[in-house]
Amino acid sequence: MKSLKDLVLTECDSLKQRVPCDFVGIALQNRHDPDITWPYAMGNRNEKYKYITVRYGKGIAGKVISSGTPMEITGFPENILGKITDYPIMLAEKLVAAYSVPLVWNGLPKGALLIGYRHARQFDEQEKQKLREVARNLESFLPSHFTDE
Amino acid sequence: MELEAGNQACSYIIQSQEEEIKRVALELHESINQNLYTMQTGLNFIEAGIENQELKSYAKEMAGLMERTIREVRLLSVELYPNTLSTLGLVSAMKSYSKLFTNTFGILIDVHSSGEEKLLSDQKSMAAFRVCQEALINIAKYADTDHAKIEFTWGEISVRIDIKDAGKGFDANEVMESGSANGIAAMRERLRLVGGQCDLSSELDKGTTVSINLPIQ
Ligand SMILES: Nc1ncnc2c1ncn2[C@@H]1O[C@H](COP(=O)(O)OP(=O)(O)OP(=O)(O)O)[C@@H](O)[C@H]1O
Ligand SMILES: [Mg+2]
Repeated sequence: MKSLKDLVLTECDSLKQRVPCDFVGIALQNRHDPDITWPYAMGNRNEKYKYITVRYGKGIAGKVISSGTPMEITGFPENILGKITDYPIMLAEKLVAAYSVPLVWNGLPKGALLIGYRHARQFDEQEKQKLREVARNLESFLPSHFTDE
Repeated sequence: MELEAGNQACSYIIQSQEEEIKRVALELHESINQNLYTMQTGLNFIEAGIENQELKSYAKEMAGLMERTIREVRLLSVELYPNTLSTLGLVSAMKSYSKLFTNTFGILIDVHSSGEEKLLSDQKSMAAFRVCQEALINIAKYADTDHAKIEFTWGEISVRIDIKDAGKGFDANEVMESGSANGIAAMRERLRLVGGQCDLSSELDKGTTVSINLPIQ
């Protein structure tokens, strides 16, 4: 039996093959409170993501989860809403471009999948589509994160 | 003479700004959040009494949203004004800010204090707190490191505070001359106005240290 972590990381790995990117991260809401953490990451430059707690509605992950809609940044820190310190994962991983989609469990957005680049770039419809597909696969693993088995 | 008046005006502006921030923070924390808390308790009570499943889950959702809002307002209030500063002192306030900072940016902060902590005036401890805050935010923005250190050294007549990172550093002379160091200039000014001093030293690939010296009286 593969562990949940292995399953998730395998999925991230195949995502990195299909959509070559510098960083893949998965943010999930805690089981018992609205805070969000980054339990899984790939291509990370350091361990900062492990200590970051995102507040619901804040940062990229918090906004994707509270709104249930994707978010796109193409040239950080130009043309961003708010301050650069409102984007901790971009700062921590020195990302310049990122695209993030919600992960849905029980009909509610409970997490976010994010791909990041350390250079400016645009995202085309095909890449966004692929990311949504991977998100659907990842959602099948969410029950074991949110319930006791 | 004119310089003196300018200094006083500057101090006055900063102080009134701080007082306004404090007022808003306390209002959020005490009055607004207390009301929200009462409403949350009420919603839970109503939810318990509802038979209709649809309405019940709606009430539960509202109570959940209320709970999130209370947390948000509390954190916002602490972010605006560290209410522990005047009660528990500078070191303690810096320790709790550091925790918030680690949770936000993933950068670990080691806060260390040696010597006996002395009581500072509100104005002085606020200035020191804001300068430390600025220095930490610069670390998150530019230093590219996963940890930093704050050291308090308490003497009889003054306190020294060093905020050190072993990150990528920068050419301080170049940055100061280019005029793009308003944040650093404001840190210096802020401390000067309360009789203290703030120095910055940095070396490429070695890191940056901000040193504060503040007379206690
Ligand atoms: N700890 C640090 N490590 C590396 N570079 C730093 C550090 N602190 C400051 N710098 C450099 O010094 C410059 C000036 O910093 P300063 O705080 O004055 O401005 P800022 O942070 O860019 O803007 P502001 O503080 O007004 O929001 C920065 O742009 C950065 O290049
Ligand atoms: Mg600054």
